[in-house]
Amino acid sequence: MSESKIYKLHEMLVNKEISCKELTQKYIDAIEKDNGELNAYVTATPETALKTAEEVDRKIAKGEQTGLLEGIPMTLKDNISTDGIKTTCCSRILEDYVPIYDASVWEILKQQNAVLLGKTNMDEFAMGSSCETSYFGGAKNPHNINCVAGGSSGGAASAVGGNLAVYGLGSDTGGSIRQPAAFCGVVGLKPTYGAVSRYGLIAYASSFDQIGPVTASVEDAAIVFDAISQYDEKDSTSQGRKGAPVTETLKNDIKGMKIGIAKEYFDGVREDVRTAVENAVEVYRSLGAEIVYFNLPSLKYALPVYYILACAEASSNLGRYDGIRYGFKADNYKDVNEMIKKTRSTGFGEEVKKRILLGTYVLSSGYYDAYYKKAQNLRGTIVNAFRKAFDSCDVILAPTVPMTAFENGHAVSDPIETYLTDICTVPVNIAGLPGISIPCGYSDKGMPIGMQIIGRTFDEATILNAAWQYENTANMFRSSGFGVKL
Amino acid sequence: MVSKEEIMNIAILSKLYVGEDEIDSLTEDMDKIIAFADTINNASDEGTDFDNINNLSNVLREDTVVESFDREKILANAKDSEDGCFLVKNIMK
Repeated sequence: MSESKIYKLHEMLVNKEISCKELTQKYIDAIEKDNGELNAYVTATPETALKTAEEVDRKIAKGEQTGLLEGIPMTLKDNISTDGIKTTCCSRILEDYVPIYDASVWEILKQQNAVLLGKTNMDEFAMGSSCETSYFGGAKNPHNINCVAGGSSGGAASAVGGNLAVYGLGSDTGGSIRQPAAFCGVVGLKPTYGAVSRYGLIAYASSFDQIGPVTASVEDAAIVFDAISQYDEKDSTSQGRKGAPVTETLKNDIKGMKIGIAKEYFDGVREDVRTAVENAVEVYRSLGAEIVYFNLPSLKYALPVYYILACAEASSNLGRYDGIRYGFKADNYKDVNEMIKKTRSTGFGEEVKKRILLGTYVLSSGYYDAYYKKAQNLRGTIVNAFRKAFDSCDVILAPTVPMTAFENGHAVSDPIETYLTDICTVPVNIAGLPGISIPCGYSDKGMPIGMQIIGRTFDEATILNAAWQYENTANMFRSSGFGVKL
Repeated sequence: MVSKEEIMNIAILSKLYVGEDEIDSLTEDMDKIIAFADTINNASDEGTDFDNINNLSNVLREDTVVESFDREKILANAKDSEDGCFLVKNIMK
């Protein structure tokens, strides 16, 4: 059976089985106890959390109606701007940066009295697949702390998997919500590009970045998505959710739903991961879905296309860090140029510098046509390939990551080998599609395996419906033993 | 093959220093990454001209004056400011 943690806690709050202050205090105490090991949070905000909790308790005592997300303890990735609360992107260059405005997603949730427990760990500027490029050290996997939580939203996945938050918001540029969700055995939803406002999300690659929820169940992901998918005039690429709230169709029958399998998604995938996803295909068959097989040959180029375009955008986006207006500033310099260079060279970590250099290279005179322009055109080819695939199916089923969480310190040696962990997740960002990762099995060492369900643009409703049906039949959720026990 | 000189030149454009101690390993890494990026040149792109994702178009609004952020608050994040402005060293002699 599938169970919504948000719904359950909401019921407990309105039935006065627990006060919001008590609930919040449980999470604060658990963070105090377990964050030393998990390193999921880089900033804890207990005072803010308790203040909101008291407000929720006042409302409940007065018999006022409270929304589903009201009083639910949650977290934000540290690249989502929070007015008056440090937002560092886990980079030295922003180590003391305090935003003076809220990201739109946080503004929405704040109005609904969401209880913010703190800001979660991430790869520096969301560049990485293990959370280990964080200036504050990587978040650890709650299923085995010797393994990485994944990245870049490693802190969010570790916090939710480690029961140090009910849900978290992360950001996904090339897999940064889905990959750590798969590694930590939780649910991660990357919405369609434009469904959720990016205003206040510190930019990595603006045409790929998208905010989405990390949760402990599919229904929770649907609840949070419904809340945050609103049109926002402050983001020129915002379109909001199209159609009815996804929670309305979540539990629909999926008899006759066409589930597509593309062979290319299984190339180089480890045996146990492949088997787990194949078992899920059988679950879908038993639920009456129709399985459709096809090829997506252009996926072969997805990874280089992603790295070229994302790094090009990053090299431009990260041009703003110059030590003048905010963040770290180097001292001992003779002129402005030297100050900027020293600030950037000391403030950015190795991976970020590498990606800025690659981005500058592919945009520079003489290389622009061969790399940037060619990659843009291939992006168009991949978009068209997906569009064609969705003529014959409703959703595509694939592994989220070709392997399970690797050991700490393993990711840093070979740059290409590390980039390959993103091979199943980047196509979704290239084409702007929605994708969700849900647990679908465990390795023989007990590490979670994730599978991905990909949909048409703005069709979150169908992928969540398919994900819920699987979860409800096969429920693969296993508790990690950390954090709050309810 | 990417040369050390190319990397040094790109570093200048990126406003980054690359130290003597890191140039060899960085060139080696960049060479691997660029060789990987080069694989796209084997692909046929079907001449698909691509300019934006999900059929977006420019969003325009009336140019009206709205309230913005408080100057003091903005400057509070700067390491050096003076008379309500960001402070930097002279850039013109």
